[in-house]
Amino acid sequence: MSNIEFSIDDKKLEALPGETVLKAALRNGIDIPYLCYHPCLSIAGNCRICLVRIKGRPGFHPSCNLPVAPGMEIESDCEDVSAVRKNVMQFITLNHPVDCPVCDKAGECKLQNYHFKYNGSASLSIDAKKHKPKFYDVNERILLDAERCILCSRCVRFTHEISKSGMLGITERGQQSRVEHLESGAAKDDYSDNIIQNCPVGALLSRDFLYKSRVWYLEPVASVCNGCARGCSVDVWRRKHHWKVRALGSEKNRMAYRITAKQNDDINGRWICNKGFDLNKQINDFASRATKPAIGGMDATCQDALSEARKLIFEAKKPAAIVSAHASNEELEAFKKTLGSRVEVYVRKDYEPAAGEVVEDELLIKADKNPNSTKVEELFGKESFSAAAGHDLVLVWGDNVEYSALSGAKIIHLATQKPNGNPDVLIPISTQFERKGSYTNFEGKVNRFEQVFDKPELVLHASDVFGRL
Amino acid sequence: MNGHRVFFTFDITEDCHTLDAYKKRGGYEALAKVLKDGLQPADVQAEVAASGLRGRGGAGFPTATKWSFLAKNSPVYYLVCNADEGEPGTFKDRWIFEHTPHNLIEGMVLASYAINSRHSFIYIRGEFDLSYKRLMTALKEAYAAGLVGKNIMGSDFSCDIIVQQGGGAYVCGEESSLLSSIEGKKGYPKNKPPFPAVKGLFQAPTCVNNVETLSVLPWILRNGGAKYAEYGTEKNKGTRLFGISGHVKRPGMYEREVGYPYKKMIYEDCGGILGDKALKAVIPGGNSTPILKPEQIENLTMDIEAVAAQGSMLGSGGVIVIAEGTCIPTLLQVMTRFYAHESCGQCTPCREGTTWMNQIVTRIAKGQGKAGDIENLERIAKGIMGNTVCALGAAAAMPVQSYLKQFRHEFEYFIEHGRSMCDGRLEI
Repeated sequence: MSNIEFSIDDKKLEALPGETVLKAALRNGIDIPYLCYHPCLSIAGNCRICLVRIKGRPGFHPSCNLPVAPGMEIESDCEDVSAVRKNVMQFITLNHPVDCPVCDKAGECKLQNYHFKYNGSASLSIDAKKHKPKFYDVNERILLDAERCILCSRCVRFTHEISKSGMLGITERGQQSRVEHLESGAAKDDYSDNIIQNCPVGALLSRDFLYKSRVWYLEPVASVCNGCARGCSVDVWRRKHHWKVRALGSEKNRMAYRITAKQNDDINGRWICNKGFDLNKQINDFASRATKPAIGGMDATCQDALSEARKLIFEAKKPAAIVSAHASNEELEAFKKTLGSRVEVYVRKDYEPAAGEVVEDELLIKADKNPNSTKVEELFGKESFSAAAGHDLVLVWGDNVEYSALSGAKIIHLATQKPNGNPDVLIPISTQFERKGSYTNFEGKVNRFEQVFDKPELVLHASDVFGRL
Repeated sequence: MNGHRVFFTFDITEDCHTLDAYKKRGGYEALAKVLKDGLQPADVQAEVAASGLRGRGGAGFPTATKWSFLAKNSPVYYLVCNADEGEPGTFKDRWIFEHTPHNLIEGMVLASYAINSRHSFIYIRGEFDLSYKRLMTALKEAYAAGLVGKNIMGSDFSCDIIVQQGGGAYVCGEESSLLSSIEGKKGYPKNKPPFPAVKGLFQAPTCVNNVETLSVLPWILRNGGAKYAEYGTEKNKGTRLFGISGHVKRPGMYEREVGYPYKKMIYEDCGGILGDKALKAVIPGGNSTPILKPEQIENLTMDIEAVAAQGSMLGSGGVIVIAEGTCIPTLLQVMTRFYAHESCGQCTPCREGTTWMNQIVTRIAKGQGKAGDIENLERIAKGIMGNTVCALGAAAAMPVQSYLKQFRHEFEYFIEHGRSMCDGRLEI
């Protein structure tokens, strides 16, 4: 079918067959305001901020639910439409506390932006605002500030249409309406944190991020979740350079304040699971981080550790290496090029599903809890290390390793986390968040991640290490 | 022109609602004529089109035209009877349920045949007790007599009628929220498009008709559409049920030809105003319709176009008569409280606006009105009007707009003096 010609504010545009006015406008860079509309959810049409006029037809029409018709002439930037938007803003803010200075969403709140753009005046109401529950427990991860809720129903639709938990619903009616946990819904929703990100106002609050930072101090860095073989695109929010703390609390400069889903239509759409939202806990776990080289359990310099490792490999009669499914494509290539032919290579998955963790579902979560199994297996096969092979030296690359399974061979360990024991040589390597790179997910799709933080001083990049061994 | 009747053709007795009584007055003859004489669905539709019947729910849309909008070539069609009569001042459906429920059942089967519906629904207001009982009894009788269900009257046509009780929400009288409610969801109105005729109940093309509209079909099919078209006015055919309430001596249910004069109805048929007071105002078609002053009903007849010309609506035919001495701000407070309570809360203007209007009017009615309240009410009503998902918002805004337009001085007096011009009375 051919595209449909129509116009918005006298600007000629083309819409795809079946497209709504709002979708076509957004695709063509025309800014029609919206709050309840979300491209991945059903149309609710309840916020009424996207009302437009159709030339020659009476009244106003919600552009989110208005299919484009050939020759349709839309007015979205005229006096009448502006007056309606101003009225809608008056209604929305009637009982909204407008407490932007203390709201977690300040700085990225659609309502705040529209209030300035389309209303800009004080409330016409002289009566007291209605107060709804301030901190309603949605679950152990999310709080709802019902006063700020504009009942756009995005969260409700998400739990019914995407995560399918049916966890939330809108109870009561009229001005008593409020979002609540439905008794009939599931108690647990493994994708629940998405509703925080998709709330257009500051109603749904992450317990983890609450009061941690104003968003304008932060900036997102594109990364990839390493929680499973899906490899979802995420944004890791770090402190902006010019807002870095220079006095007490400098550890805040190395913190990942929050994780949000990054749209990637090929891999994860617009969602990630709660494990992905918890990626910041992994990044901020400074206590478990391996930061110093060691020889036989004693701190050493990088140079000494590398020399000792080189010596051990040279002396070994039957050396082996275990490579990790957490390593990036680039590191694996570098390893293959420099060490791959000198040692026998085995592959290893660092992580298996933890107790109570969702193993696999139909939406995003995969049973393989490692981000790069595809590339590891492509380069090195599927064979895992066996003590019976009789190796006298094992180069272990990865975390979460039990040395007892290595049958007394000498061990050189390239790790990001402190190991469970003392290897002959420990070389701390950078984490995914301290370097650039890419993973290949279970479908063979390559997803790049950027460097979020600088690596600690005594930590090395794995790809730099191999050529020096 | 005033003597013709379609419903009021029998005496109200203890058993007038039963199948026997209904059959004695010609009940199910129309259905027999259609099914046994081999009339096709198109013939039924043509007869209804010839009658000029317009929907009795409020909008007054031509019934046969509404049926013709149903999407073609669907494997399933549904007919839904909107019996969620919740508009204050309107009680005609209840009269049909209590006195002649078989009229509706026969009409349902006829309409189902006309639109090819095999499963039809009656969505009845939850608060209706006697109505529900009599409907269920009548339906049981009809099933037992082979008038509903499989192979009706021995024909090839089968149709079940499913009765669904509402939960008592006014908004479920709006056709799309009624469909949501039948589907087991919260009674939220649906966005249009798609319209029910294209995607309605369970995504199938659906026709929603009012109780009175469906109940008049047996008469039309029995006597012919042309005969029905002889009644009423040029654009508004037939008779209508008018529920008269308020300050009249003989309130109640009246059947009159469309085009009957309001004054005659109030002063002759209903015996005039209580206490022989002067008439202050008339709400012509259920309490959401704009209020009219006595001079506006001087020569006004009860038909859709005539009432529209006066800036109001014939609506559902529920006429509320208001006598001199009634406090209009207090009356508006009752109205706004109702709509604030009944707003479903789905869309912003209605959810917030109805309560906001009630908040202001209540303050005025308490003697705590402030300068600017009237202007704010006008702004709010304008902000709601036409900008909501369904018509409940407009239903709430129209009384506010019309009361302020017609009786602004009473509101100004209340705000200025902190008390009513009429002692805040609603009773006479």
